[in-house]
Amino acid sequence: MKQFESEVPSSLPASRLRSVRYRMWGVVAVLFALWAVAPGFASRSVIDMLVFSGLYTIAGLGVAFLLGQCGIVSLAQSVFYGIGAYSTAYCTTHYGWPAPAGFAIGVAISAAIALAVGWPVLRLSGYFLALATLALAIIGQVLFTEWDWLTGGTLGIGGIPHLNLFGFVLNSPQRFYYLVWPVAALLLLLHRNLLRSRTGFAMRAMRDAPAAAAVLGVDNHLLKVKVFVLSAVLGALAGSLFAHYVSFVSVDSFGVDRAINFLLLAVLGGAKTVLGTVLGALFITIMPRLLSRFGDIHAVLFAGCLIAAVIFLPEGFGGALGRMAQRLRARQART
Amino acid sequence: MSGTLLLQSALAGLTNGFVYALVGLGIAVIFRGTRIINAMQGEFALVGGMAAYLVLDRLSFPLAFAALGGIAAGGMLGWLTDLLLVRPTRRRGGTEESFLLLTLGIAFAISAGVLFIFGRDSRLLPGIGGETSQIFFDAAIRTHALWLIAISSLVMLLLWLFYHRTHIGLSMMAASIDEDGAASIGIDVPRMRTLTFLLGGLVGGLAGVLVSPLITIHYEMGLLLTLKGFAAAILGGLSNPFGAVVGGVTLGLVESLAVLSVSSGYKDVIAMTILILIMIVLPNGMLGKRARKGG
Repeated sequence: MKQFESEVPSSLPASRLRSVRYRMWGVVAVLFALWAVAPGFASRSVIDMLVFSGLYTIAGLGVAFLLGQCGIVSLAQSVFYGIGAYSTAYCTTHYGWPAPAGFAIGVAISAAIALAVGWPVLRLSGYFLALATLALAIIGQVLFTEWDWLTGGTLGIGGIPHLNLFGFVLNSPQRFYYLVWPVAALLLLLHRNLLRSRTGFAMRAMRDAPAAAAVLGVDNHLLKVKVFVLSAVLGALAGSLFAHYVSFVSVDSFGVDRAINFLLLAVLGGAKTVLGTVLGALFITIMPRLLSRFGDIHAVLFAGCLIAAVIFLPEGFGGALGRMAQRLRARQART
Repeated sequence: MSGTLLLQSALAGLTNGFVYALVGLGIAVIFRGTRIINAMQGEFALVGGMAAYLVLDRLSFPLAFAALGGIAAGGMLGWLTDLLLVRPTRRRGGTEESFLLLTLGIAFAISAGVLFIFGRDSRLLPGIGGETSQIFFDAAIRTHALWLIAISSLVMLLLWLFYHRTHIGLSMMAASIDEDGAASIGIDVPRMRTLTFLLGGLVGGLAGVLVSPLITIHYEMGLLLTLKGFAAAILGGLSNPFGAVVGGVTLGLVESLAVLSVSSGYKDVIAMTILILIMIVLPNGMLGKRARKGG
């Protein structure tokens, strides 16, 4: 089983192991430095794009988690993303409540809906489950449009206040950039810790051998529902952040296409690796922009990239990188 | 609620139901032959309708040729999809999810391609019998809708005969039920899968040709058609050849009655809620008897 393999081949001598590890930390440090200084020289639109990558990382993490650890294809993330955004929008503009109230209400509603819907739906599996979540996404999209007393319908809700951290107003992409990425990094870290916990092992056991997991005392259904709720909470969180960032929300942002984007993010990044989610989020925000210089054909090219990624990188960017690293290490061990 | 109104909406529901049934039929054909849920079935219809429109409009051929052109275009697309994209994915060990995503990706590519080449305009094909309608007890139905119902029923019957009475149809079923067993008695399994996609494409192209006099051809039409078709196929049961019709008609009728009694905006909400409920309560579909397939 691949996921139970140790990090590095055991044939590696200790000194080499250390050098590999140092080099890895070096790469991490360089990436961190690049991240920290990026707003200093990159243009506003690039930073804006990176903020969206951060938001999508958070929401996509929920989808990747379901897909990679439980084998559940979820196309319903746009619904929870929307609930988070609309809760924030409604509470801050209509009632004038402070921002944390919007976050809390969005998270609570999302969790409640995920629990109520997930309980029956997660008895399904495979294609049925995927289609059930897609049906949820469509229901969400229609309700976001129809309940215009709550959501503003196609006109949307504007004038959502920017986040204010101890008197520091996050009103520019540069400032928001320094909020969204640390939040994303924290969530990624928590996610990694969860995967290494007892629950994480139970999840992988459930994914790879549901019957065996059940015999060992894992309540498969309950575990799936829990992960679904967790994923919905991440979606709502990202949605609330999104509402504060753009200060205008309308139904266009929470359609089925957004749900599909979140799923693609997870698949392209490689749902089984934690960093893959970041790579996937960067890809789905940067690639369309890069391709848009070719004119109107960029949507076709983007879809072509997706098809190529599904065929040639079945484990996503994360999986491909992991394999490349393994090959490098093996070569070093040999020389 | 007057009787006429009820009848009128029932007729509209019936027409929509057969549209869903045709799309669902294509999905069921591909699922039974390859165990793949084809998320681009609606795009077969889009390409079929578009091709028929082009033959009619640019080449000004008669309608029958245009229809044949549309069906052929759908079949061609299905054939190429399997040959160029599905086979390589299978060779690299594709899972259920990867096939779903692959077909979804192709659906995007086609939709974006149609947008790029033909723009946002909606196009209509002329129907069989033009714009004429038939009257039943004060309720009107387009002549074309009657043709649609007749042709889809015929196609369904032909497909049943194809799968139960012809050598190649039986081989296709064998290849899907037991790959190794089929291969050991000399059935070319990959070829059967390609033929399945060709057949699914033909049915999809036909759906496009028949649908486009009623629903406009538009680059975004594919995804919702796919979903409704899938709902129809699941409702009736994927393993039963007549399931798609039963499911499609049920879905269409419930939808149009819902529009009458609630509001037209909630049509899709009701259809999707039914889809979810049916999957949970009747996982084999309304006609299914055998063990459930697909999840």
